[in-house]
Amino acid sequence: MKRRSKIFWFVNVVLIALLLGGCAGTLASSSWPGVTVVEETAYVAYGNHVYALRVSDGSMLWRFPEKAEGQRLFFAAPAIADGHLVVGDYLAVLHSLDPQTGQEQWTFTGAQGRWIASPLVLDSRIYAPNADHHLYALDLQGNLLWKFKASKALWSQPVSDGRRIYQASMDHFLYALDPSTGQKIWARDLGGAVIYSPVLSDEGIIYISTLARNVLAIRAEDGSIIWQKAFENNFWSQPLLQGDRLYLGDLGGKVYAISAQDGTVVWENNLGEPLTGAPTWLDGEVVFTTENGKVVAYSEDGNQKWKVTLEGKLYNGPVVANSHLLVGIAQGKVLVQALTAGGQQAWAFEPPK
Amino acid sequence: MWDALIITPFVNVLLFIYNLVGQNFGLAIILFTLLIRLITHPLMVKQIKGAKAMQELQKNEKWLKIQEKYKNDREKLAQEQMALYRELGINPFASCLPTLIQFPIIIGLYQSLIIALASTPIELLNLIRHIYPALLKVEALIPLNSQFLWMDLGLPERLVLPFLPVGIPVLAVVVTVTTYLQGKLMTPPSANPKDQSAMFSNMMNLYMPFLMGYLALTLASGLALYFVVSNLIGILQYALLGQLNWQNILPKRASEKPSKAGAKK
Repeated sequence: MKRRSKIFWFVNVVLIALLLGGCAGTLASSSWPGVTVVEETAYVAYGNHVYALRVSDGSMLWRFPEKAEGQRLFFAAPAIADGHLVVGDYLAVLHSLDPQTGQEQWTFTGAQGRWIASPLVLDSRIYAPNADHHLYALDLQGNLLWKFKASKALWSQPVSDGRRIYQASMDHFLYALDPSTGQKIWARDLGGAVIYSPVLSDEGIIYISTLARNVLAIRAEDGSIIWQKAFENNFWSQPLLQGDRLYLGDLGGKVYAISAQDGTVVWENNLGEPLTGAPTWLDGEVVFTTENGKVVAYSEDGNQKWKVTLEGKLYNGPVVANSHLLVGIAQGKVLVQALTAGGQQAWAFEPPK
Repeated sequence: MWDALIITPFVNVLLFIYNLVGQNFGLAIILFTLLIRLITHPLMVKQIKGAKAMQELQKNEKWLKIQEKYKNDREKLAQEQMALYRELGINPFASCLPTLIQFPIIIGLYQSLIIALASTPIELLNLIRHIYPALLKVEALIPLNSQFLWMDLGLPERLVLPFLPVGIPVLAVVVTVTTYLQGKLMTPPSANPKDQSAMFSNMMNLYMPFLMGYLALTLASGLALYFVVSNLIGILQYALLGQLNWQNILPKRASEKPSKAGAKK
């Protein structure tokens, strides 16, 4: 009787602990799939695995690691560099995989935080931003060349014009760095945290959106602000630069086409659901995704062309692959949905157990 | 409903305090926990008084006689019990009702801390949605300064010392010790150590510290900090009400031992 009672109370205490632990949530649903397409292969980082998929039919070529390893989670879109598929995990390890087989080639363990953003590959160097506030520059063997420290976490992929690296940070600043030394050339206070990457034009203008409800155009040469435009809602989005327009959506559910020249709104539409990530251009249409699973295409002049709803959460923009749109889906049964240019479903990838 | 009534207001109060104390999240957690416990203090007083009255009833001679007299007639026993409650002016729900009211508040506090400790993209998106734009400016708040002493409050805590190869989980140890102390100090002396409630208390006091310590080891250190503050405030509240049971942790005096041994016989 006494033993039974002990077991009963022990079970009760375990249930309380599970309740408290359960309230804290799991890391497994803490981000969304990162999708990168290289020629005929799509690389998808989500949860415990990185998957390599055939773009033509969605069949899986390999996955890494073969067996899930507890808290080792992958969310940042992998980057490809001369025979290296570089992908970071939530245990602060940056992995280099063989893009053909998924075999691990080396790891970099010098960072302290999560790899939330994708690395940038430029001239046989890897520039990898980490949540520990550092941008790490590595060679293709994973050796550290230099590191640059911002004052807050780095969640966005850097961009480059070949001469400089431009890194946006949660600390409200955009930094221009020398790619060979990591020396800061200039820093610009943007007035709000930047979660997503900026976009860089051929004319040397950086377009960036912030959580301070701003879109800014910044001269890459010296960091001076060309124009900035205030909007109604916060942005968690990378603008799409197409022709002389920028397309982006906000957390309040509005999509905008704005002039790249001065930031004036050309057209806007209210989808009523938060938009994150970057829109995509395909066959003369700009395609947005919304948090609640909608994929919506607009013509250049703002007419809605088609709309499909997928099961799951869409936090990242679609990626173009072989005239198809690949949509990474979080918290759904399907991980990647391929759509045709008109929004028809081409194939779907469900990860094997 | 739960979100709108409890979680969102709590998150905003927490972040308001965070702004007020110079964007120190650790200090904000301590003050927010203190504030909530102050607000719920009258309920706790009622709960303690109710529990004490029920406990004293267990020693009441009349009640012992009733129990003996109607030990084979549960229905009659219940009737007599209710009559005795009326006679002594005891409200049987006086201890459990305040607990029921406090429970959602404490759970809300815990959940609001989890939301505010956003350290991944989806968590941050969720946090932004909970902020009242009229009260707080997202652009000034995000990213939250989660650094407190040697800890990143969004991550599990380890104190890294240069001469040690592994980090020391200081907070997990403190959580274990304070949970143990709280359990021991707040458990009232039982008239009969073999009754169900005494056994429950003993089991809780045995297992809970380790489970709370494990949670502190694995969850964000901001939550572990909350566990410590909450334990210390709980002990302080009981101390102010003169309800701490020091006998549970102090070594028993020699004069007490024979009488207890005698009681067992």
